[in-house]
Amino acid sequence: MGILNTMLRAVTWWNGQTLNTQFYTWRKGVKVGEDEQGNVFYTTRDGKRRWVTFNGEPEASRISPDWHGWLHGTWENTPDKEPLAHKSWQKPHQENLTGSALAYAPAGSMRQAQPADRRDYEAWSPE
Amino acid sequence: MSDLRKIIIDDQEIEVDGAMTLIQACEQVQTEVPRFCYHERLSIAGNCRMCLVEVVGGPPKPAASCAMQVRDLRPGPNGEPPVVKTNSPMVKKAREGVMEFMLINHPLDCPICDQGGECDLQDQAMAYGISETRFTEGKRAVDDLNLGPLVSTAMTRCISCTRCVRFTTEVAGITQMGQTGRGEDAEITSYLNQTLDSNLQGNIIDLCPVGALTSKPYAFTARPWELSKTESIDVMDALGSNIRIDTKGREVMRIVPRNHDGVNEEWISDKTRFNWDGLRRQRLDKPYIRENGRLRPASWPEALAAAATAMDGKKVAGLVGDLAPVEAAFALKQFVEGQGGSVECRVDGAKLPAGNRSAYVGTASVEDIDNAKVIYLIGTNPRDEAPVLNARIRKAWLNGADVKLIGVAADLTYDAEHLGPGRATVEKVLSDASEAENALVIIGQGAICDDDGEAVLGKAMALTEALGGKMLVLHTAAGRVGAMDAGAVTGGGINAALDGAEVIYNLGADEIDMPDGAFVIYQGSHGDRGAHRADIILPAAAFPEENGLFVNTEGRPQLAQRASFPPGEAKENWAILRALSAQAGAALGYDTLAQLRQALIAEVPHLAQIDQVVENEWQALPVMPIEMAKFGLAVTDFYLTNPITRASALMAELSANAKARMATKVAAE
Repeated sequence: MGILNTMLRAVTWWNGQTLNTQFYTWRKGVKVGEDEQGNVFYTTRDGKRRWVTFNGEPEASRISPDWHGWLHGTWENTPDKEPLAHKSWQKPHQENLTGSALAYAPAGSMRQAQPADRRDYEAWSPE
Repeated sequence: MSDLRKIIIDDQEIEVDGAMTLIQACEQVQTEVPRFCYHERLSIAGNCRMCLVEVVGGPPKPAASCAMQVRDLRPGPNGEPPVVKTNSPMVKKAREGVMEFMLINHPLDCPICDQGGECDLQDQAMAYGISETRFTEGKRAVDDLNLGPLVSTAMTRCISCTRCVRFTTEVAGITQMGQTGRGEDAEITSYLNQTLDSNLQGNIIDLCPVGALTSKPYAFTARPWELSKTESIDVMDALGSNIRIDTKGREVMRIVPRNHDGVNEEWISDKTRFNWDGLRRQRLDKPYIRENGRLRPASWPEALAAAATAMDGKKVAGLVGDLAPVEAAFALKQFVEGQGGSVECRVDGAKLPAGNRSAYVGTASVEDIDNAKVIYLIGTNPRDEAPVLNARIRKAWLNGADVKLIGVAADLTYDAEHLGPGRATVEKVLSDASEAENALVIIGQGAICDDDGEAVLGKAMALTEALGGKMLVLHTAAGRVGAMDAGAVTGGGINAALDGAEVIYNLGADEIDMPDGAFVIYQGSHGDRGAHRADIILPAAAFPEENGLFVNTEGRPQLAQRASFPPGEAKENWAILRALSAQAGAALGYDTLAQLRQALIAEVPHLAQIDQVVENEWQALPVMPIEMAKFGLAVTDFYLTNPITRASALMAELSANAKARMATKVAAE
């Protein structure tokens, strides 16, 4: 939390929460919970506004559907107080990896570390 | 009987034959008239109405230029030549109207249509299409047809030009396609939902001006503008059809015909058009050496050294296969004869006399078929051996020629009088023969592959003399005439060449069995019969992958251009022979293909006359007694005649379909 970081947070939004959000959270925010990634969720005292401060990269798709529903007012109670029913076949939430190095690449894609062996002819073999 | 008329087309006065149509006259002055249904080689239908022009002084309506003859036009009141306008406001308005009607029922699916980019309707809509539609009613839709594994249909796109119907009935000679219904319900259909039974059916893909008929194997694989186009020569039959090979990267994506009036007009057979999937399968891409009974991959230096060692001091026989270009045959001949061996190209046992070009090529050109009045087919089924040539014979038959067939009776798509099955019939025809106008004798390989083949050929020449006509030897192998020209022959034929040979150098001959005990070096492109029997395999280029000279069945040398590259480590045929000759210590005297061609032309001068049919001096063969037997057929399965087609899955399917069709003839027939 050096001076440089503070200056960066004053003019950018992608280096942690902005100074404005931090001030607003200090003034009005009531912490309601935290998900397993360490993102902290806040609401105002009257419950009219809900927001999140990210632990790390501010990437909206990191929020799981459970917290997403609370954040957008779909359900009243936070999922840590009133957990949603999860089916056994549901996979754990994963953020959107598009544009990152971990993005999905099909088998024949040039972005594959080892592209599938692709030939424009079938070679004869004696056996 | 020339009836020259003066005519003014767009202020240009020309004199043309009165029998010409206006559209042809317009082409004389380089004025292109848009058209959909009109095609130079088909009958005139006049149903698309796109070629409308204005005839000054004629009826006050536009005239279809494809269906009106120059002599039908009235001259002016003072005898001025008739005036035709092709770009007046009236013409433009008329064509815009026609185009608007066509686009009413044509779907706007150009982005998913295979014809996109080479579509006549697309091109002409750029010139005559209006920008918005005034049509608010429902569009019609038409059920697609199943025409078999080659032609894919989207009949809603059809603009009813009927080119496909006219082609199949007139040129291909089949009756499965037609038009039913009237007005909006008019549809192109196949009779009783039959698939097409013709080996020329692929041409309707080219003829279709829109995307109603497209190529099924090529479907959605490439767009025309991303293909590299190479003009080349086909090797699937001996006709030497002019083709254009379209490639994307190393792969051949499709093969389409080029126009050549003297050879294939603008048709090619299905085997020519669709063999390219065989170019991708079963390819030899590295050298192999047999060790302890098994073939193992080897490097080029290893394989060449092993081949040179194996040939050293042994009796070598070189065999030239059916698809070998002249250069390769010539290089093999020089190399093997330099090693004291002998070379043979007549691997099917045809008794073609060496050195007598009038007997192994004949004196007729393919174009002579057009003017023939009587055609004798001896021991050949041209429908299987050269389908495009068969279409030409059919054209002559339509123009009134008598076609007589001696040999296996077959449906040739026209009425050929079947005189008899074999040699006895030849004797009889010869004894009855008298001078005839424009007679043509076409003798196939089926007649001359037996032991008395040369005697049969002599009888055919005697018949030609008696008729005062010309003779054409119909070959089945694209490389045969070229190899005969290069002199790749052994006295006594294939048996003499193989007799006692210790090492056989097999340049792509896959149709014959190798004698036991011989050491076989196979040079070829596909892992076919020859490769399985080989002791050393040298991988070579297939026909689209090297420059080569091919001489067709009428003796016309044509240059085939390289369209792509050989796969893997495979090399061009002549280059392998050159490298091996250096390894054997008898390097051939050329380092480039150009030098090789110079050496070849120095030895065989007429091969320099590219695309010309060389006149052959008539040298009659001695008339010898012949045995009394029937003729066989040189091609028993049209779709599987060479290693490329045998590697093709599509050709296997077509062959199986053809067999099934033969097996289940409709009971009513």
